[in-house]
Amino acid sequence: MAQEIKIPKLGLTMTDAILASWLVPAGAQVTEDQIICAIETDKVSFEVPAPCEGLLHPVVEAGRRVEVGERVGYIAVDEAELSTLQEAVPVAGTGPAEGKSDDFCQPREKGEAGEPPVSAASAPRVEKRGGDRIVASPAARKLSQATGVELCDIEGTGPGGRIILADVEAFTEAARAERDATRYNFGSAVPETDLLTAAETVPIRGIRKIISKNMKLSLSSQAQLTLHTEASAADLKALRTVFNARLEDDHPRVSYNTIIVKATAVALRLYPMLNASVDGHQIKVWDQIHIGVAMDFGQGLVVPKIRNTDTKSILDIAGELSDLARRAEKKRLFPDELSGGTFTITNLGGWDIDHFSPIVNFPESAILGVGRIMEKPWVQEGRVIADLRIPLSLTFDHRIIDGALAAQFLKALKDRLEDTRLML
Amino acid sequence: MAENRKKLLELYRQMVTVRQFETMAGEYFAAGKIPGFIHLSIGQEASSVGVCSCLRPDDYVITTHRGHGHMIAKGADLKRMVAELFGKKDGYCKGKGGSMHIADYSIGILGANGVVAGGLPIITGAGLSIKMRKTDQVAVCFFGDGATNRGPVHEAMNMASIWKLPILFVVENNQWASTTPLEYACSVEDLYVRAAGYNIPGEQVDGNDILAVQKAAEKAVIRARAGEGPTFIENKTYRIKGHYEGDPQKYRTDSEIKKWQDKKDPINRFSRVLFKKRVLSKKIVDQIWSEVQTALNEAITFAENSPFPQPEDAMADLYINS
Amino acid sequence: MTDRIISSSAALAEALHEEMQRDETIFIMGEDLVSHAGVFGQFKGLPEHFPGRIIDTPISEACIAGCGVGAALTGMRPIVDFHFSDFVTCGMDELCNQAAKIRYMSGGQVKLPVVFWCPDGAGLRAAAQHSQSLESWFVHMPGLKVVVPSEPSDVKGLIKSAVRDDNPVMFFQHKKLFAREGPVSEDDYLIPLGRAAVKKEGKDVTLLCYGAGYYLCEEAAEKLAGEKIDAEIVDLRTLKPLDMETIAASIAKTHRAVIVHEACLTGGFGAELAARIQDELFDELDAPVKRVGARDVPIPFSPAMEDFVLPRADDVAAAVHAVTYR
Repeated sequence: MAQEIKIPKLGLTMTDAILASWLVPAGAQVTEDQIICAIETDKVSFEVPAPCEGLLHPVVEAGRRVEVGERVGYIAVDEAELSTLQEAVPVAGTGPAEGKSDDFCQPREKGEAGEPPVSAASAPRVEKRGGDRIVASPAARKLSQATGVELCDIEGTGPGGRIILADVEAFTEAARAERDATRYNFGSAVPETDLLTAAETVPIRGIRKIISKNMKLSLSSQAQLTLHTEASAADLKALRTVFNARLEDDHPRVSYNTIIVKATAVALRLYPMLNASVDGHQIKVWDQIHIGVAMDFGQGLVVPKIRNTDTKSILDIAGELSDLARRAEKKRLFPDELSGGTFTITNLGGWDIDHFSPIVNFPESAILGVGRIMEKPWVQEGRVIADLRIPLSLTFDHRIIDGALAAQFLKALKDRLEDTRLML
Repeated sequence: MAENRKKLLELYRQMVTVRQFETMAGEYFAAGKIPGFIHLSIGQEASSVGVCSCLRPDDYVITTHRGHGHMIAKGADLKRMVAELFGKKDGYCKGKGGSMHIADYSIGILGANGVVAGGLPIITGAGLSIKMRKTDQVAVCFFGDGATNRGPVHEAMNMASIWKLPILFVVENNQWASTTPLEYACSVEDLYVRAAGYNIPGEQVDGNDILAVQKAAEKAVIRARAGEGPTFIENKTYRIKGHYEGDPQKYRTDSEIKKWQDKKDPINRFSRVLFKKRVLSKKIVDQIWSEVQTALNEAITFAENSPFPQPEDAMADLYINS
Repeated sequence: MTDRIISSSAALAEALHEEMQRDETIFIMGEDLVSHAGVFGQFKGLPEHFPGRIIDTPISEACIAGCGVGAALTGMRPIVDFHFSDFVTCGMDELCNQAAKIRYMSGGQVKLPVVFWCPDGAGLRAAAQHSQSLESWFVHMPGLKVVVPSEPSDVKGLIKSAVRDDNPVMFFQHKKLFAREGPVSEDDYLIPLGRAAVKKEGKDVTLLCYGAGYYLCEEAAEKLAGEKIDAEIVDLRTLKPLDMETIAASIAKTHRAVIVHEACLTGGFGAELAARIQDELFDELDAPVKRVGARDVPIPFSPAMEDFVLPRADDVAAAVHAVTYR
């Protein structure tokens, strides 16, 4: 009996996703838990494992928007069942979705013809709604025309994916920002010359689209400023050694990051304004401290968070970080783990970076950049010693956090890294 | 005596007017000047003129699709009638009604009615209104033999009878209901007997004898004005023309029609009487026919000179702003 | 002056009393009127106050209707009581070929101030020939005005306007609502024909209704409020002329419309209204226009079947749910 391949629900709020690509050709033999296709939500990319061993029969083509729980294919037990399935339900095209041009969705301004259509990524969605027609209520169409929003950029929430008025309203602001971000950061950067040829043309979509939107939103909406300092990492190293010496072999190791995360959480409790967001005309200072840790395994930046970081032990944090990293590498993070953070730590030390200016992970208000830990000559009480030093960079939203306050927070963090007993 | 002579001549003139008018209408219809279809009452002039000669301008008349005679006899303006037949702006109904719906409320013509027997319930309302307003008007409804088989006729006769309404139910029994002969469609040979079922005095009259018609109508009008209730008059006559102009009339023979022409023709019969009484002479006859023709020519000129309504005039006159 | 709580019947009688006092050409004719002051007691007090102006007729609907026409043509302002609106079928020629057309056919020579008063509607276990809602037939007839009030205060204001109108007016009152009470002003007030009323303001969906449909909407709106759906109720009151202005203003606000009537769905007034909405307000719509009406069968006798056939407040709520998705 063939098993169905269904779209998993990856978070409380997830209702649908884009079936980004099939990673195994139709008819191929797969093993249980083998990754067979990739899906993308507006928050995350995720790889779907095969529910069982057998022969893959995809029925939904890549690029389509699919509902949670929707059947996208089957795993047949044998060739006979596969051919029965193939007769009953035609096989869908596999391979990555191509952005298609769409008559209904040309770039609005003629003068920007060189610009890649913003809507390219959403063309498959249009297709899903019945050939070449976008299904939208008359009122939604009227508003979209009045506001200059492209219907094909909008996700319809009405019956059958119909775009309704509220969809356009909700989209208008965010869509503008996103489109502008894409336009200014990427579109206009293409030089008008035929001396250049593109070796590769990569559509901006999926996780890249999310990153570009968030980065642009962050810089365009906040007044960001970075402070730099340096701390001694000698005590940090000692504490790490103490922990790791006592750990069971199979327990995730305590890293510098583990302890930095913990120290940051403690410092945030002392300076809660660094753990805040701007909501319209109000500053929301959060009760909870959910620190996100930036990770990049070559498929785009993701920032999974550790919930209630301040309440967790160093060993708990070590365990969670290890699990998140493992799943991030496999694209198995859930959308809920990627949103709702209150502060972010990014560490570029592994690539020999010392100081840098990280961009705040919008809509948070501050981010800590950690640089390369290395031994340096250091003058202490008139003597030059070899000290282990760690560079710290704090970017914050100067609209709501004054320079002195940010400096005090950074000092408090530095103190706790230099004397880890202060975390107690 | 001179007064009486004048009245008789006027009856004759009216009959000639109706005849001339309808002859003209038939010719203009054949010539394509009149749209739609028209129904002529040629041969029935004694009934229309005879009954209406007993009425006052404030009395009410409702007639049928074959109603030109009643209109003229009740005093309608030939000019506006012809203009209406032509579908012109100066017609009685501004071109909205046509032959079948001419009305002139200013002289008590509550309209011709295109629905067979459609006038009877309305005339009953007019009778009720007279009674409630306590005037001595009378209300006359003309209808054909075919109409007497419709339900509303019986509802109306019953209601008029129980309330003693001042109504004359005048059936013009021309023996043909469209293409269907009376002897086939009616359960009785004489229609006046139906009145008895509603306790209404019923009388059959030689409908081609205008003086007989007038006499019966006069009696009924007196009775109505006195508050004694309705009367049912059956004017037995014959429809010389087809049901409508252009009717191939496959349902009857020429010889049947012939029997009712010439000697039985109501105008001929009346002129014989008037000649005998020396009221009429050859000279007077020529004079009347010529005068009527002149009046009719004036009406035709008036109608031809009148503009057609604008298409969008179709949207006017539906509701009245109160 | 203050409002009192009185029934629709009492509101009707009061209004007619005021009008008949004011204008002696007004009279009422129909079957079984004098002894019981109308078969539903709707003319209470009038036979005593206006002897000779409340007239019992034989069972002759065609002639009764025609009498209304003839009397209106000759200086009176008749009100014709149709006994049960179902019997309009017996007077269709008088209503549609005569009353509706006489003024127009005569080129506007004459006025026709007549009200055809028709008690309609189901729910009284009166079965198929005494329960219909036939208003849409007459909306289809140029020359007639069509009024279908719901609340007692509307009955009073509208019947007075209908009686004073110089055009033939079809006035439908639901039999089941005669006893229904509501506040009615003692004032001598008119509600102009052709003016709808926003009976409850809301922002999420417009409920377009009239007659008994209003009460279904009122009940449904209460339920929906519990689900945080804020329904606006527009009581049309007059179907012809129709107050598209009020309808448009409401739909421009809510972008969603549900039409509710007790008449059976197919070919009902909702069909006409939905057509006009999509035509004139297309760009305002965020969802298809829904209709709620009785099922397309004659009204059956046995209570369970009758209840099944008639629209309920739950049907209204379900239609609202169908258009307030997300």
